[in-house]
Amino acid sequence: MLVVALLCTGCQFVQSAFANTAGNAGAALAAASTTLTYAHSGKITDAYAASSFINFQSELDGLDQKLPSTQGAPSGHAIQRLLDLYKTAIRAVDAPCLTASCDWRGQVAALDRASKAFLEASNS
Amino acid sequence: MKTLLSIALGVVTAIGGFLDAGTVATAGEAGAKFGLGLVWAILLSTVAIVLLVEMTGRFAAVSKKTYASAIRENFGIKFYLLPLASEVIAESILLTAEIGGMAIAISLITGISWHVLFPVAVLLVFASAWRAPFSWIENGPALLGLVTLSFIAGIVALGGPQRDLLPTLWQPPIQQGGMADYLYLIAATLGATISPYMLYFYSSGAREEGWSTRSLLLNRVTAIVGMGFGCIGSLAIVLLSAMVLRPLNMTANTLGEIGLAMAKAFGPVGAMLFAIALFATCFGAALEVVLAVSYNIAQGFGWEWSEDKKPVEAARFNLVIILFLLVAVLISLLGIDPLQLALFASTVIALFLPISLFPFLVLMNDRQYLGDKINGRLINIAMLCILFIAFVVAIVSLPLEIVSGGG
Repeated sequence: MLVVALLCTGCQFVQSAFANTAGNAGAALAAASTTLTYAHSGKITDAYAASSFINFQSELDGLDQKLPSTQGAPSGHAIQRLLDLYKTAIRAVDAPCLTASCDWRGQVAALDRASKAFLEASNS
Repeated sequence: MKTLLSIALGVVTAIGGFLDAGTVATAGEAGAKFGLGLVWAILLSTVAIVLLVEMTGRFAAVSKKTYASAIRENFGIKFYLLPLASEVIAESILLTAEIGGMAIAISLITGISWHVLFPVAVLLVFASAWRAPFSWIENGPALLGLVTLSFIAGIVALGGPQRDLLPTLWQPPIQQGGMADYLYLIAATLGATISPYMLYFYSSGAREEGWSTRSLLLNRVTAIVGMGFGCIGSLAIVLLSAMVLRPLNMTANTLGEIGLAMAKAFGPVGAMLFAIALFATCFGAALEVVLAVSYNIAQGFGWEWSEDKKPVEAARFNLVIILFLLVAVLISLLGIDPLQLALFASTVIALFLPISLFPFLVLMNDRQYLGDKINGRLINIAMLCILFIAFVVAIVSLPLEIVSGGG
């Protein structure tokens, strides 16, 4: 009975699917940004960073297809802004700049911007 | 002197072997999401595993029987199939997560995709389970797992926990709508530590090593000191995640993220120490899980079994090892991240705990098996309470987590 009662009031316990997805994406983007920063400050090896980015890719891949149709997703301008930030950020996730010869700072900035926007969207 | 050495080895291996993919995943995510808000669940589950390990060793040493054979003998084959089925379902998911954890650890060192390394990890587990003697399986990975103690050094190197973390101990930072996530992690924390496979592995190990009533001291010290200190590894991961990942808005959704806390403390050496610890703990746990299921089935059906026998002398026991590894390979084809799989497996284990452990409590109160060494009333009540909490939390949180698409 207790279990049934708790499940019936479950909506008070859970976030909407959109808030959950956006929150997870924001956290994954923050992790990608930190990983890239650590790689360039010598805190982790390139191998460690490369391996981590494989996992970030599988976590974030296809989000642009999934997000607009997720239950609880905002419409219009808000979702478009998230998708634009996602498109820039996912390029950094798919091809992270692990050498000094490319613009890794630009990638970190893109990841941070997207992470912040997704986390804000999940909390709103 | 020999007894003292055995006790020391038992304690050391219990400390080194405490963590596995499930405990690393739950502790990492708990610290990153809820600060110190799940420390109580780790301490509660540690009390439960200390009691269970002590009971399992006592049962095997006094009755000279393993847990699986005693269930079959006392409750009959039809009843035995119930805990067996729950065990096979939960442990097959957990085994996949453990092997995935090994693959990710090698991946973090080499940079090669863990998907490619998964078959390598399977072969490594198979070769060890197939040929290695029991003493090596019991002690080897666990001794390597002592690397987890470097997590404590990591906390010290980072200057210890920030003062604002302390209130999260009694006031977990649960966001609006985040209660399902919190409950899910409680269930996963309990299931990750109170793993019934330990019962089958530990009781079989006690028989492999020919324990008698003279081994009861070794058993008690190993359970209390070894498992008691073992939880330090889990607590250290919670602290590291809370100190480093949480302020950066990371939620430890992948295993590699958890290692970044050690990287912040010690640079690439810290990250490598994390990868080695992850490999050792997952390798040890994968061996224990695959052997526990093989022991369970072989003992339940009365087949020849022993890790120290040649495969040809215990053919069906060894066949189960191969089949179970193949099941893990099939599950891995679903492509689910090992950390998420470990969390899910741990919650499923928590859900099945009453089925797995209630028969054991009945046996632990049976004078026919234990004479005057049966359980005291306090231990029975404590275990029943913990099983009840784990079951209720798991049955509430699993559907909520699935509905919200979280994990």
